[in-house]
Amino acid sequence: MKEHETVVQLSIPADAQFIDIARLTLYGLAAKMGFSYEEIEDMKVAVSEACNNAVLHAYNGKKGMIHLRFEMNAHSLVIVIKDEGKGFNYKQAAKQAAPLSAKPLEDVKVGGLGLFLMEALMDDVSVTTTSGTEVRLTKIRHQGEGEHAHECISSSSVQEQA
Amino acid sequence: MDRRRFHIVHDEQPDRHLVYIKGELDLAAAEQFRRAVEPLVDDAAKLLVIRLDELTYIDSTGIGMFVALLKTRKKQGAPFIIENVPPKVQRLFDLTGVSYFFSETNDITERVGGQS
Repeated sequence: MKEHETVVQLSIPADAQFIDIARLTLYGLAAKMGFSYEEIEDMKVAVSEACNNAVLHAYNGKKGMIHLRFEMNAHSLVIVIKDEGKGFNYKQAAKQAAPLSAKPLEDVKVGGLGLFLMEALMDDVSVTTTSGTEVRLTKIRHQGEGEHAHECISSSSVQEQA
Repeated sequence: MDRRRFHIVHDEQPDRHLVYIKGELDLAAAEQFRRAVEPLVDDAAKLLVIRLDELTYIDSTGIGMFVALLKTRKKQGAPFIIENVPPKVQRLFDLTGVSYFFSETNDITERVGGQS
């Protein structure tokens, strides 16, 4: 599977004004891969949440970069969002990562909502915090639905002929 | 670099503050949204209505701000409703559970409306 991986990389300043560029890039690549409108919308939010955390927590208001790596595979799109700042405490956030409705409004805290959304909207989320923070988001391509199924069949048959 | 992706329009009426938000309510737009809405939130005498027809994107930043608005308005006993929520925004409200609190305030609003 790995031999057919295509990688696109993008580095943006860790500044809220550039997170839309990450979304636009994601949109272009995911559309190229044949993901549905809904799947792309889900991924846009997940990628933005990872970027939000890097902007808010990685560099303590100092300048820094966010590195995005889009790994386009036959069966999935993996988006790696990496910063070189101090690690955001994902373990702590994971404890709070829950929908809001379980509590009365007065007790609701929105911390952890970003991580919750990443987990709810992607097929897999993994976080490593060794040098900086690296968030790895995976979306599986669900083939065999609607018109995309035909595109997949035709592209694979072209490969066989080659 | 000032091609704004987020717009907010405020229309003050005798009984309510009508706020239209358009574009992408993300981290970059959060401060603009906060500045525009904060003075209206404290006006407990009027209904606060935010219309989302043309909201094309929201994430936890925007949802967190709606929760903060809900809390403030509830403390004041003042109604706050959102209207015309696009399906993809509604989906995120449902996923995060924030729609539960909105239906709660909408019920209150209906009761208030019924009394007047």
